[in-house]
Amino acid sequence: MSGVRQIARRRLLGDGLTLFGALALGCLLFLGLFGPWLPLGDPLRIAAGPRLGAPSAQFLFGTDELGRDFLPRVVQGIRSTFLLSAIAVAITAVIGTLLGLAAGYLGRHTDQMIARGADILFAFPALVAGLLVAAVMGPGQASAITVISIATLPLFIRVVRSVTLGVAGRGFVTAAEVAGASTLRVMLVHLLPNVMGAVMVQLTYALSIGMIIESALSFLGLGVQPPDASLGSLLRQGSAYLTIAPWMVLTSGAVLSLAIMSVNLVGDAVRDALEPLKGRPLT
Amino acid sequence: MRLIAYLLPRILAALITLFGVSVLVFLSLRLLPGGYADILLGPFVTPEARALIAQRYGLDQPLVVQYMRWVWAMLGGDFGVSMVTQRPVIAELLRRAPVTLQLALIALTLALVVGYPLGVLSGVRAASRRRKRDFGRVVGAMGASVPDFVLGSVLIFVFSVWSLWFRVGGYVPFGTDPVGNLRTMLLPGLTLSVFGVALILRTTRDTVLRVMTEPHITAAVARGATPGAIIRCHILRNAAIPVVTVVATYFGFLLGGAVIVEVLFSVPGVGLYIFNGLLNRDYAIVQGGVLLAAVVFITINMLADVLYALIDPRVGAAR
Repeated sequence: MSGVRQIARRRLLGDGLTLFGALALGCLLFLGLFGPWLPLGDPLRIAAGPRLGAPSAQFLFGTDELGRDFLPRVVQGIRSTFLLSAIAVAITAVIGTLLGLAAGYLGRHTDQMIARGADILFAFPALVAGLLVAAVMGPGQASAITVISIATLPLFIRVVRSVTLGVAGRGFVTAAEVAGASTLRVMLVHLLPNVMGAVMVQLTYALSIGMIIESALSFLGLGVQPPDASLGSLLRQGSAYLTIAPWMVLTSGAVLSLAIMSVNLVGDAVRDALEPLKGRPLT
Repeated sequence: MRLIAYLLPRILAALITLFGVSVLVFLSLRLLPGGYADILLGPFVTPEARALIAQRYGLDQPLVVQYMRWVWAMLGGDFGVSMVTQRPVIAELLRRAPVTLQLALIALTLALVVGYPLGVLSGVRAASRRRKRDFGRVVGAMGASVPDFVLGSVLIFVFSVWSLWFRVGGYVPFGTDPVGNLRTMLLPGLTLSVFGVALILRTTRDTVLRVMTEPHITAAVARGATPGAIIRCHILRNAAIPVVTVVATYFGFLLGGAVIVEVLFSVPGVGLYIFNGLLNRDYAIVQGGVLLAAVVFITINMLADVLYALIDPRVGAAR
């Protein structure tokens, strides 16, 4: 067992790009989690400095049009972008995994219904669905979470379903059935551990999609509402002053891209460690 | 025969999906807080006026009847009337569709022309050198991580300071002024293509790595075929198959991404129309636009299945 762990650790940390992603993700998560208690200043304090002040030693990220220090606002943005998408993806992962298990194991009509349902959700391009949801629920965090769920639920259902289909016919499942295990027990005790690897891979992938959707909705003014900040809404705020105060767009855009990239890099590493792909040299 | 056996269930599934999508879109707008009459008439509404509106739009009928009428009208091309301009939604959607289509085609072309060769190269290199650190991963990670609106904002900033031939906003149709059209459309197209470059690059890279573990590559290496010949004859065609699926999925992204990019660059396409419809609470536009996007997406995915069966002789043969 320790051998497997060692190989996994070497694969995860073995190259610079992954290490960079893991470090960046760690820093951003730290800022997001503990930001409110760090001595960075109040994100909501108006006239803390000059209006639209350029980055300086006192205000590293400059100030916005109300003279608010932009650095604590970006930190608050990291917090809400990560938090919102993580909550949405976590809920979706649980629901999607259960539905996928049910579809793959129960088969027949249940499978048909769940698979068609996933197809229907998948047919809405994420942001287009976002417009519809915003029309029905009104802009806000609840609609952002709903849109992320609509976009990522089919991913979990499809992956878990296909892995379950491959496992459901194996001997240990039949053995459990013969021993009289209930359907729920077979699904949760015997099948669930076998699909967890695939779920983990989808989890990081879904998190990065969720962060993109959340910030895109907030950028359009349909997600997080002022005075709260998400990285997307900060970009929206900054894009109004793009030519005279470009630091708002540049700082929040860079942090947002870094956040998504760190999640993607760690996700790639997780996938490579769990589902390795090796080609052969052509010579 | 094999092809029909493969395609028939898929077409059936697509029709069921279409039905589900239409029910969802229909119900979502019936669930609007206050209902249609309140939105149309505003807060100071008399019961008589409400009844009149309900009667005129058939809102007093059972939900099933309302749905049937709605679908029938949609099939006849009646997507309702914009509350703001009092013009039919379908006319405006059709007028704007070519703009969005052009944007999507620019993005798709850029994504394929850049992403596919880079993906093949990166996959071959990664397999040959047994090295994880290569440019394919870097480009793939960056392209998939920089959101289109961040890239677009930065591009707008750069090109509004130094114009450099490109122009932000001020769309002109391709028919009247091709050069002027490209001056405004290339930047949004480029913005939209970056995610596609990353997506196609990563897919191609993975497929190439997978193909290269197969016995026929080993056989070719053992025969003494040159690396170039192996790539041309054994890898390129195999690596193209998943790209077809990914391109179909990418179209879904393009339809959604078009909303953001069109808003950002003020390109008068379908996305901007739906977005403005939402801001004006003009729900007939949102409803029609969302339905159109979903229908286009489903159709493209079905066409991808057909194409898939045509280029890969193994598809459907195994059953």
